[in-house]
Amino acid sequence: MDKGKNKLIQLYKSKKPYSDYIVFGILLIILPILVDLGIVKYSYLTTIASILIFSIVALGLNLLVGYSGLISLGTAGFMGLGTYLAAYITKDLNLPFEISLLISVLVPMVIGILTGLVSLRIEGYYLAIATLAISEILRKGFVEFEAVTNGFSGKQASYPTLLGFIELGRNGSFIMIVVFLIGIMILTYNLINSYTGRALSTMRGSEAAAQAMGINIFKYRLLSFAIAVAYSAIGGVLYMHFVKYTYPNAWTLTLSLNLLAVIIIGGVRSIPGTILGSFIVFGVPDLILKRLPIIGDIDGAAYIFNGVLIIIIILFYPLGLIHIRNDLKKLMFKFKKRKESYSEQA
Amino acid sequence: MSIFIQILLNSLETGGVYALAALGIILIFRTSNTTNYAQGSISMFNAFIATYILMGTGLPAFAVAILGMLSAFLVGVLVDRIVIARAQNVNPVSKQIITLGLIMIFLGLAPMLFGTDPLQFPRFIYGAHTIMGANISYNAILNIVIGIVIMIFLFIMLQKSKWGLAVRATASNDIVARMMGIPTPLITMGSWAIAAALGTLAALMIAPTSSVNLSMMDGVQIIALLACVLGGFQTFYGPVVAAYIIGFASNFISFYISSIWSDSILYVLILITILFKPNGLFGKKIVKKV
Repeated sequence: MDKGKNKLIQLYKSKKPYSDYIVFGILLIILPILVDLGIVKYSYLTTIASILIFSIVALGLNLLVGYSGLISLGTAGFMGLGTYLAAYITKDLNLPFEISLLISVLVPMVIGILTGLVSLRIEGYYLAIATLAISEILRKGFVEFEAVTNGFSGKQASYPTLLGFIELGRNGSFIMIVVFLIGIMILTYNLINSYTGRALSTMRGSEAAAQAMGINIFKYRLLSFAIAVAYSAIGGVLYMHFVKYTYPNAWTLTLSLNLLAVIIIGGVRSIPGTILGSFIVFGVPDLILKRLPIIGDIDGAAYIFNGVLIIIIILFYPLGLIHIRNDLKKLMFKFKKRKESYSEQA
Repeated sequence: MSIFIQILLNSLETGGVYALAALGIILIFRTSNTTNYAQGSISMFNAFIATYILMGTGLPAFAVAILGMLSAFLVGVLVDRIVIARAQNVNPVSKQIITLGLIMIFLGLAPMLFGTDPLQFPRFIYGAHTIMGANISYNAILNIVIGIVIMIFLFIMLQKSKWGLAVRATASNDIVARMMGIPTPLITMGSWAIAAALGTLAALMIAPTSSVNLSMMDGVQIIALLACVLGGFQTFYGPVVAAYIIGFASNFISFYISSIWSDSILYVLILITILFKPNGLFGKKIVKKV
């Protein structure tokens, strides 16, 4: 018995990031059970589900911002496109969830790649401007194509049905989101440590050096943007099937900026950092700020909180809050050492 | 013919608004080396301040506009002193993200201070005139003239004055300019202040038709950025000329093709143009040295 336990710990330690992700996933899966038992409030489940969905989207954005040094301001637009496509395909066309997922990810990706083809050939900041314009066009489309999108009143969908016969409820959908999140975390980790990831890292260090090594900068920029768009579309599909409601004003620049705040606050180029940032940006306002006496009544408080946090972190702590634990440890270590040396002298 | 003149006059007015906003963006881009995404929200914020002064004191609109520009000037100085001046050694991407953070702060502050209801801002003068069958209000004529005069003034200053020389030197090479004794922090601060004032003027020009609200500058901001892309980021005049071209195209499209989709068609057309002229209509190719 004891030996078996040791083996488990050894397995955990040898497969380090993967086992961490899976343990995190298992902890999350326990949550709906706690809700059913009445220990955790139902509203927390919804909040945490949306935090997880936004984490998926932010992971893609983190790849884009962290490794390619590009900013996308169209994240919300692409996510919105994903929600509308998912709703239209499953509800109006009555096609299965799997096909809907495929199409809802492919269509935004094609639009994203076209945008990238136009704007990525020149300077990096062109992409931000182009995506800003594209997301406005998309939002206009959400309002105007009433036959598909139902205009301002918004569109509804239901919980997904997997493989045509497994009907998921609220808890099932939550577990599906967790599975998607863990899968994407592992995928992203592998991607970063693959040839592609190394090429992206080289580009980040010096574009000229990367070019000299034979790395096609345009190709890798386009690839990372396509991945970011795909992740946001996946996030959109999951959002549609969990929240079950979408409307044009949910997909404004506000959301894109919040998603950018997620990665800056949590930690650029860090997968756990993205999750942490998502909990801070989307969780803190819902779970804490709104419950405070005076600040909770102010409309823009959460937004100002995130904006100020972005600027402070870029100026004073550019690696993000995920590194705070290590830095504190180092500080403690230093402090201890100094104390010891003092006591030795005395 | 009269329709064409009508479109031309309208485009001069909207083009002027876009050009003022674009000039602010390019001024900051050249001196601070960052695209300022917060230009629109800073202008919106100060348009609210101007409207509050108007409601509180009952001063005439043009006096309020000058006060609003002064407050924008102050806000620009504050933004530069508190945030941008400290971000000298931050990499370009993070600098852009800082301006995105500024959007969040101003968009959060505005409803907190001024409420969420849209407010009305009056025209500078009332009345209209007919030129060759085209109807144009005195206010539009005034806007066109103010826009052109301010821009000509700024361009003469940029080319002839000592300040202009300092700005151009900072724009071309920040470090060498500092070595030559140019106070570059002051120049950067000045461009943030002037850009904010120009943006606020643009906001107050469109305020009578669109009302003062949180999203009043969203469209202008996107078009001003696209004007910089279309005109090229390397010159001061490129974005301004491009802004007038976009103003004309926008009115032309909304009259002849579709008024609902005019902005969307415009964005796509501009993006297609970049495909063929990657450095903009007036841009030069930048050769990067390693």
